[in-house]
Amino acid sequence: MTGARTQHIVPAGIVLAVAIIVAWLSFTEEPTEAFLFPRIISVAFVGLAVWNMYRAAAGLARVGGGIDGRTALNVLPGLIVALAFVFFAATALGFYVAGTLTFLAIYTIYDPTPLSSLNGWVRRIIVTAVFMAVMYGLFALLLKVQTPRGMFF
Amino acid sequence: MKKMIAGLGFALAAAAMTTGANAADTYPDRPISVMVSYGAGGATDFQARIVTMVAGNEDLLGQPIVIINKPGAGGRVGWNWLATKADNDGYTVGAYNVPHFIAQSIKGGVQYSTDSFEPIANWGSDPAVVVVGKDSEFDSMEDLVAYAKKNPGKTTMSGAGLFVGHHIAALQIEKACDCKMAYIPTKGGGAAAMKAVIAGDTLAGINNLSDAYRAREAGNVKILGVADLERNEEFLADVPTLKEAGLDVDNSSVNFRGLMVPKGTDPAVIEMLAAKVPEMFANGRVAKRMKAGGSPMKIMTRDEVLKMWSERQTYLEELLEGL
Amino acid sequence: MEFLSYFGGVFEPVAMLLLLGGTVGGLILGATPGLSPTMAVALLIPFTFHLSPTHGLILLGAAYTSTVAGGAVSAILLRIPGAPANIATALDGHEMAKQGEGARALHLSFLASGIGGVIGVLLLIFLTPVLAQWALAFGPSHLFWMAILGVTLIGSLDSKSFVKGLLSGCIGLWLSTIGYDDMQGAPRFIFADALTGGINIIAALIGLFAIPQVMEMFAKGRNAAAIQAVTVTKHKLSASAKEIGQSGRALTVGTVVGSIIGLIPGVGGQIAGLVAYDQTRKLSPHKAKFGTGHPEGVIAAESANNAMVGPSLVPLLTLSIPGSPTAAVLLGGLLIHGIFPGGDLFERHPEVIWTFINSMLLGQILMVAFGIWIAASAAKIARAPMPIMAAAVLILAVFGSYSVQQSMGDVYVMLVLGIGMYALEKFGFSAAPLVLGLILGPIAEANFIQGSMIATATDGSLAYFFGGPLNIALVSLVVGSILYSFLSNRQVNTALKTVEAAE
Repeated sequence: MTGARTQHIVPAGIVLAVAIIVAWLSFTEEPTEAFLFPRIISVAFVGLAVWNMYRAAAGLARVGGGIDGRTALNVLPGLIVALAFVFFAATALGFYVAGTLTFLAIYTIYDPTPLSSLNGWVRRIIVTAVFMAVMYGLFALLLKVQTPRGMFF
Repeated sequence: MKKMIAGLGFALAAAAMTTGANAADTYPDRPISVMVSYGAGGATDFQARIVTMVAGNEDLLGQPIVIINKPGAGGRVGWNWLATKADNDGYTVGAYNVPHFIAQSIKGGVQYSTDSFEPIANWGSDPAVVVVGKDSEFDSMEDLVAYAKKNPGKTTMSGAGLFVGHHIAALQIEKACDCKMAYIPTKGGGAAAMKAVIAGDTLAGINNLSDAYRAREAGNVKILGVADLERNEEFLADVPTLKEAGLDVDNSSVNFRGLMVPKGTDPAVIEMLAAKVPEMFANGRVAKRMKAGGSPMKIMTRDEVLKMWSERQTYLEELLEGL
Repeated sequence: MEFLSYFGGVFEPVAMLLLLGGTVGGLILGATPGLSPTMAVALLIPFTFHLSPTHGLILLGAAYTSTVAGGAVSAILLRIPGAPANIATALDGHEMAKQGEGARALHLSFLASGIGGVIGVLLLIFLTPVLAQWALAFGPSHLFWMAILGVTLIGSLDSKSFVKGLLSGCIGLWLSTIGYDDMQGAPRFIFADALTGGINIIAALIGLFAIPQVMEMFAKGRNAAAIQAVTVTKHKLSASAKEIGQSGRALTVGTVVGSIIGLIPGVGGQIAGLVAYDQTRKLSPHKAKFGTGHPEGVIAAESANNAMVGPSLVPLLTLSIPGSPTAAVLLGGLLIHGIFPGGDLFERHPEVIWTFINSMLLGQILMVAFGIWIAASAAKIARAPMPIMAAAVLILAVFGSYSVQQSMGDVYVMLVLGIGMYALEKFGFSAAPLVLGLILGPIAEANFIQGSMIATATDGSLAYFFGGPLNIALVSLVVGSILYSFLSNRQVNTALKTVEAAE
């Protein structure tokens, strides 16, 4: 029970901190006209965040199971691939090359088929190629979206 | 090993340079994007889609033009993007609205000015007009000015945002009549400002000639005056200019629309575009569609646009001083 | 009954072909993440350059109706709402798809869309003159109160926790103020370069709904048992039709709410689905089932957002005022053919305008037929193994959010918001109220500021914001809505406590 309570206090604290920063910026930044509406919102924001903090600290927060270690461990590799794709590979390598690598990486990481299985690799590569071909047809050919080309494509 | 990497780097750089040189010769070899700083469906977006529709013709650019919308903050979002983030490889072109972007750069807080862009050509000019609802008590500019003099600060006038053509026109009118009005900027462009007039949310409004002409055809508004040097013979021959109505207002608020590229674009590419784009605007099918939509065209070459920009810059600096 | 005499125009071969093409094309474009109905219609406008006015409008009318419904496909199968209109559909629809009920969800969604859509267009045909005045009645003060009313729904939209629902809404409202302010052009809360353009609503939608879903799949890990494929239940059309027949309440609430709200310029289309969803839940005896894959949720949301299509065109066709971005794009489609909307449009160009309206009517029916035809095979997507699904949704989310305005910044915002939402969801916050705040924030702010400026120039804020029957009615609704959610939340809390005590 205490674990769950700590788990709820951390996000409640973060939300409260954000609310306070928002309120502080709203009331200090210029011009006043532009920050009139943010001021109104930030007052409600801080009020609710304080109430939420009280509920978390008092152990009244019942909703949401939090994130346990095992979940975090499972999510991490996929998350890293996703972040690397969006913040680095997409512009550096080009959308289609990076997309292909990302698709294959995620599929491989979470596919229960053993890595030594040749069939597994064949299947993964075929699925990736077909999916990316559909993406290319839809976005590049049909919609003429100019995606970042990077080093490759 | 180090030498090898350095050599490789040199080879890559050389390769990049040669492709750079070739790029201007083969330009354009893929579709060109035109960034519009207003939402899909707005007047600028609509006209941009029409004037670029024949870009793919072999004798023009030979590649289609795709419109991307980057709306927000009265156009600032899009122009900031074009000035700071867009590639200057000639494949990213932007649509400009004068006096909007010049007035905003004078007011400050944005990352662009006339020096950030190279004009290509102008396709249209849309003067600002003064409109009132169809049942309004005002039948002429004189009526409106007389009311404004009697009720200072109470004549509400809608327009599409601050530091856009409509706002400039409102400032000029206030200066000319020496009276105080209440300019109400709306979010959502000319359409929202027009709605405010038709619904009676405001007493009067400033709007684009093209939109006002349509609204009058639909029987929703009366048009009191045009903020231009001459009457518009094509669409509104019966509406007097503000000058005729005794207000010293020139054509500084006329909304010029055209294409430009970010600074640093290859001069060869600019030259090629400056030659072909006016031709594209002059295409018969483009003219026919623009006329059908009630959008006045005014094709200007790169040199004419450069002159127009610098004239506006000087005038607006004076008008907006101390505001 | 004049429109009946123009039906002939829709049935000639070219027109029929365009109608079919527009419907199928619209469904595909609508189902593509990142492509809102507005953009989809804008993309089709160039095709109409080469067509006669009547043919061009048949294509646009069919495409408009089907893109709105097409957004439901990706909302249900992938939990990527195509547009704000489909948010409410994703809430229960995707849960159904995960339980293997995708075909049923799609059937219900298309049938409900079709019924709502047809009624909406019929309203457009018969009540246009009456409705036009209603659309004009909403001035800045009323639109401000409308937006606030929408915000108060937040409290009840999230049944799990009153305070966290409101807090999610506040976060959404705050996020909506990021970027350059619309009036003054002043920079607000721009902490990172990607935020200069503000938070794009479509990119945010993709991130907030799709990314937590992807992470949820990651969380299951590399585990053969966890990824066992969903058994996709076959669903008979007759059963769906029967179910629709028995869902009178959801259907009625959805259609009525959708057509009324659809009329209000600037607000309608985006929130019609959510408001209808919320109202249906309040009136339903199965409140607790909403959000867990309850068919009523899908029916209410989809009937509302297609019922909105017809009425949303009323201000455009009669007053030449586009009430929504999509209507603005359609206005362009009319203008390039020299057709000016306005009061006498129906006298000047009856053949064009009636054919357009008829094509929307037939388009609805074709859309239902085609939608049902693909439902069974489309629902099999749920059978795709978890790793493929996770990778595919991630890639689609990235491509989709990029293509909205070809901006990498939007992709960064999409991913960061999505990861943040995953964490928040784990602690009882929810995406729906957050998104509602994000949508309504700019509407509330713009109308508040505009209203205040008019008020200062005229009779003062109090008279302006609280005077007149419409203001009073809206304010009472706001107060009523807050009271309702507070009281019903106390009931839930008491119930929870009793359960805990019993344990």
